[in-house]
Amino acid sequence: MMSDRQIIEGCAKHERKAQQLLYDKYSRYLLGVCLRYASNKAEAEDILQDSFLKIFFNIKNFCGTGSFTGWLRKVAVNTAITHYHKNLKYRYNVDIDEYVSVETGTTSFEEDLFSSEELYKVLNELPAGYRMVFNLYAVEGYKHKEIAEILGIDTNTSKSQYSRAKAVIRNKLEKLGKIKISLSEKREYEVID
Amino acid sequence: MKAKKHDISVRELFRQKLESAEVIPDASVNARLMHKLAIREFFHFNPARFNIYYLGGILVAGISIAIILSSGTGKSDKLPDLNIPGEHRDTVGTINITYPIKNAVVQKSGTPNKYITGSIRNKPVIKPEISAVNKPVQTRISKGTDAIITHPGTNDSFTQKGLFTGPSKKNTILQGGNKSEELIFESSFTEGCAPLKILFHNKIVDFDSCRWTFGDGGSSDKKDPGWIFDVEGEYKVVLEVFGPDGLRETSSKIITVYPKPSARFELSPDKANLPDDEISFLNYSADAVKFNWDFGDGTTSELFEPTHRYEKFGNFNVRLIVSSEYGCSDSLIVVNAFSDSKYFIDFPNAFIPSTGGPTGGFYSSKSDEAAQVFHPANSGVGEYQLKIFSKLGLLIFESNDIYTGWDGYFNGQLCNPGVYIWKVRGNFINGEPFTKLGDVILLRN
Repeated sequence: MMSDRQIIEGCAKHERKAQQLLYDKYSRYLLGVCLRYASNKAEAEDILQDSFLKIFFNIKNFCGTGSFTGWLRKVAVNTAITHYHKNLKYRYNVDIDEYVSVETGTTSFEEDLFSSEELYKVLNELPAGYRMVFNLYAVEGYKHKEIAEILGIDTNTSKSQYSRAKAVIRNKLEKLGKIKISLSEKREYEVID
Repeated sequence: MKAKKHDISVRELFRQKLESAEVIPDASVNARLMHKLAIREFFHFNPARFNIYYLGGILVAGISIAIILSSGTGKSDKLPDLNIPGEHRDTVGTINITYPIKNAVVQKSGTPNKYITGSIRNKPVIKPEISAVNKPVQTRISKGTDAIITHPGTNDSFTQKGLFTGPSKKNTILQGGNKSEELIFESSFTEGCAPLKILFHNKIVDFDSCRWTFGDGGSSDKKDPGWIFDVEGEYKVVLEVFGPDGLRETSSKIITVYPKPSARFELSPDKANLPDDEISFLNYSADAVKFNWDFGDGTTSELFEPTHRYEKFGNFNVRLIVSSEYGCSDSLIVVNAFSDSKYFIDFPNAFIPSTGGPTGGFYSSKSDEAAQVFHPANSGVGEYQLKIFSKLGLLIFESNDIYTGWDGYFNGQLCNPGVYIWKVRGNFINGEPFTKLGDVILLRN
């Protein structure tokens, strides 16, 4: 098995074997990233493909100081952003007062109540704009100001989009959680019985 | 009993669960990626791999070797491989003549035949497979005609009889031997792009008959023939002139015909949304080294495969002119390249609101399969404003976000079943405005 360093050097020389190894090693992780930004798996795989092409052609620009996975992830996220811009279907028009009014509830969830598949599904069903803002803010940890620059929207829009996205997600998770809890209680009851 | 677990917020939940989640890609993704990669790398400069730059280098080297070899052996009567068109095309049609006359390469072939007696057999000077096409022609030298012939050794000058008009005012007199280095014919061009039409002019003033062989299997007995070379290559054009008393003069000249490049390209994506999509121009042109793109919106490019982002929607004519290293050119215009727009907005005529309370009207194609939210089916909508009125004209709903539809509630109360009027205004992302008005039936289940 080659080390990351050897793989990077091989990829910089465009060696097919190293490229294949890189793909085998990181495609699952990167698809996990891409799927958060897509509305379905096929779209995520398209983003993944474009990300790998970018990675293979730009790997010589990876200076080797930071974390390699971090770099790969950044390329994938940037590709997803480009993809979003390409498929931009609408522009946002959200008033600030909506942002204030929409912030509802502070329900928290049990960590292990939901599987990652379910969380992906919730993200996939979100409108693309909500999904971008939510991912960039909540998971990637960008600031609203940065997100506004990346997506070409207003900082306040980013904030309100995030709140609304969170509200929609919370709503969905609550519904899903109720079903799951009732199911699991039923199962426990059956076991006791 | 279920163990009590740590409660976390939505943000933490997603971060912890999905930050390093792995999803197994479909096996076909790998294959498609490697295929795409192979194509991209072929067009990418890399000294360690065989790619288009090497291919280009090999082609250039091969062509230059071929040119060196053919010019080196040109004097030994070696002709290039010839395609025999089989028929003489007299149509001038759409010929672009781009090359001016250059100094002809003087090449003498054949020697004066001193043993002609009465009849002359056309002596084959070209390859056997070509002479098979050239029927041997028997030419009888007529005596005692008006022809004025200069006999070898005499320097008498004769008046021109005005029989010939051609590009050159200087005419030559049949001398019966290659005494001078001068060619006995002229051509309008010696090189050019295929298909190349050339006018030949026989400079000999008086003679009995002449015969042209054009090197591609064709021949002519006219004095000043025109000939079209359809196929690229080098052709040895030979003129033989026969006079009385066995006089014979011959000259030859090499005509070089360059390949005509072909301009071909495709747009990607083929159904583009202007101005959002960046258009890639995929270049499939052949035999060309220079590319001039005109995107139709006033911008141009000279790249092999440019990409372009249009400022606004419109029907643009995209034109590509390619030229080869010899200056031959070809062009292709795609008229109204982006004519099929796929933008639309349509509304349903009924919906069934949820009875469980206001939903806020958020929807996506998957989440609203029960038609609980009144919203449009659409593509490419930019600015958007939806208003819904009751039959009495009261505005009961307004939305500026296409992803927020009407959930059927007004002030927290589910509206009565019946007909409601909707009005939508806005524009598509290409700038095209829309205004629509209609009614919708609110149903209860």
